[in-house]
Amino acid sequence: MNREEEIVGILVKKFPFLQDRISVKKEKRIFTGALSRDEFEKIVRYVHDDMNLFRAHHVVGTDEGENIGLLYILSGDDNILLALREVVPKANPAVKSISDMYASIVLHERELADLFGAVFEGLPEGPSYPLPDGWPKGNYPLRKEWNPKYFNKETMTYEPPKEGEEKE
Amino acid sequence: MSEVDKNQVIVPIGPQHPSLDEPGCFTITLEGEKVVNAIIGVGYNHRGLEKACESRNYFQNLYIIERVCGICSHTHSTAFCRAVEELTGVTVPARAEYIRVVVAELERLHSHLLWLGTACHEIGYDTMFMYTWRNREKVLDILAAVGGNRVNYGVNTFGGVRRDLDEAIVSAILKTVDTLEDEINHYLEIATTETTLMSRLVGVGRLSHEDAIKFGAVGPVARAAGIMDDIRVIEPYGAYKEIPVKAITDTRADVYGRTVVRILEMLESLSIIRYCLKNLPAGVIAVKVPRRVPAGEVLIRVEAPRGECIHYVRSNGTEMPDRVRVRAPSEANWHGMKHMLEGGYLADVPITIAAIDPCYSCTDRAVAVHSEMDSKVMDWRELREYGNEWYKKHGVDVSALVL
Amino acid sequence: MIDLDLIQKAIDWGTKKSPWIIHFNAGACNGCDIETVDSLTPRFDLERLGVIKQGSPRHADILVCTGAVTLQTRERLIQIYEQMAEPKFVIAIGTCACTGGIFDGCYCVTGGIDSVVPVDVYIPGCAARPEAIIRAVSKLLDTLDTPEQKEKKAGKAKKREKIEDAVKAQDMNISEEEKEARNGQEDSGDES
Repeated sequence: MNREEEIVGILVKKFPFLQDRISVKKEKRIFTGALSRDEFEKIVRYVHDDMNLFRAHHVVGTDEGENIGLLYILSGDDNILLALREVVPKANPAVKSISDMYASIVLHERELADLFGAVFEGLPEGPSYPLPDGWPKGNYPLRKEWNPKYFNKETMTYEPPKEGEEKE
Repeated sequence: MSEVDKNQVIVPIGPQHPSLDEPGCFTITLEGEKVVNAIIGVGYNHRGLEKACESRNYFQNLYIIERVCGICSHTHSTAFCRAVEELTGVTVPARAEYIRVVVAELERLHSHLLWLGTACHEIGYDTMFMYTWRNREKVLDILAAVGGNRVNYGVNTFGGVRRDLDEAIVSAILKTVDTLEDEINHYLEIATTETTLMSRLVGVGRLSHEDAIKFGAVGPVARAAGIMDDIRVIEPYGAYKEIPVKAITDTRADVYGRTVVRILEMLESLSIIRYCLKNLPAGVIAVKVPRRVPAGEVLIRVEAPRGECIHYVRSNGTEMPDRVRVRAPSEANWHGMKHMLEGGYLADVPITIAAIDPCYSCTDRAVAVHSEMDSKVMDWRELREYGNEWYKKHGVDVSALVL
Repeated sequence: MIDLDLIQKAIDWGTKKSPWIIHFNAGACNGCDIETVDSLTPRFDLERLGVIKQGSPRHADILVCTGAVTLQTRERLIQIYEQMAEPKFVIAIGTCACTGGIFDGCYCVTGGIDSVVPVDVYIPGCAARPEAIIRAVSKLLDTLDTPEQKEKKAGKAKKREKIEDAVKAQDMNISEEEKEARNGQEDSGDES
């Protein structure tokens, strides 16, 4: 058994709910399926404290229709990337920041807050990043439903066509 | 918030880097001349290109991704091509892989030379700045001959490379490599023997091994702290699987360590180029790739001159990607900046920031010095001159060094 | 009594013979920026033409801009332009600076430099070469010539053409031995 399969084995043993939701994609890549907020918090605490995955490379935000996906990319000494996918509803995108465990994730979580509207509990205060000051609240550019065509850069307002109006 | 000291220095900085461009802000608190606190407020060269990628097909996106950064454009295009090649299950011909490596190493050379010149400029050593950038011209000539353009050379395409290397170019590259080797060895000698230069760099901008891990530093910044994170070594890709790459680290964990690591990496790049050209496999330079990319997601890592570069691409089975994410290396390096600045002198701020190699050209760097009596704004040039004057007063004058 | 004419002439001469530039990146990928800095380094060496890069807009004659203007840099670009003293000029370097380039239409990009400040010279290219940048600067300075100076320059160019034509015609009429003899004379001639 190679190291990737070993890791999967350890995680499935500890968290049986992962049974069909984790797989070795290819060498040095392990991906999980969608995890709820609670499931994710348990796993990330475990991999940090007990498996010594001390490196958080990044967190990629994705649009999952009704939900937002947060794909955290972690690794340890063996340089195998473990991608944990936390999925939360757009209507209530509150998640717990992992910056208490991984100081190197702060800027990336802030970016997700700006671009996808995720709300990170426990994320240290700081200037918004990367959108400019004066960006209208409630506008999350990387959500699929946000269309740059309707964004007026002069007035910095989002003006989607009304119901029934012609959409280009 | 803690008590504010008499001298409060606010440094609005606009670092340019693969994707950072917005004028950001460092809030620095000084006690006398020492920095006791630094709050990072950096921006992002936010053009919104990831959103743009979702409404363009993969071929159009190749051009956009290449222009995420003008200094490491080949790195980004290699990563994006590899992502599409993995999604479509295509195998890139060996000759193309080798050509990709040659161009990648040439890019590393020009980027490190650029950095060396810029860093020397920050400490007042303009002679070195001019010499390194003059050497850089030789590398750019080769890149222009190989790709057709000095910057954004567009060598990659999905399934391979667009241009082949003929005998004339190969011998021109080898000739340039020989010339550069002498010059870079000379720089190494200067860096390791000139005590004046070393006094500006040693002990400055320290980020210990533990802190480098904690703050997720990548590239030469991490390698200077003893962390081997070179993707070419830990997760070889493309032709790097066959090419021996030396793992270069240092233990000094300061700006000096980063300088030495980069110079040694340049020498290593030269030997990698020689190896590739000597062992260039015969064959085609590209294979066809379907327009519609099968659904799936990939995570690609490549070694940019600045460190680990991650691309995430998700496809939904159409001609346009569902999600494209580019995480450039400098984004990771900003987290440790606060630590590097604290405990150091104001005079060291320019070189400390330059040493993580944010892409050149800062939009707007100014320092506002507020004291009880006076309120003044200094621009970056003045901050650099302040640093150089401060060191001169303490007996360190780099500008007089003879190359 | 102050001769304003003379002062104006001095200012014009200073602007034309030694324009000082300020370089501003409005949202570029750095490609055009490194080519701009390249034009100040030994191979291209703009400094021998009197061009110096300044840090402060108040000391500069020409604003050299790269990049598609992002929402974040828009205000600062306008500030820098307003801080510059007349006469001032703007050069947009690179395709992104001219029209927004491939980033035109992105949600954080307003467009080329001329969407924010008036531009005098456009240099397309991705990235624009240092030779193009130098040519742009010299073309810009040519436009500052008074009509008399323009005529004078045109006259000089015509004269030069005439001489070259005459030399070519002469060369066709002289024999090979004569040519060799002349070349020999040139080589061993005194260096004055």
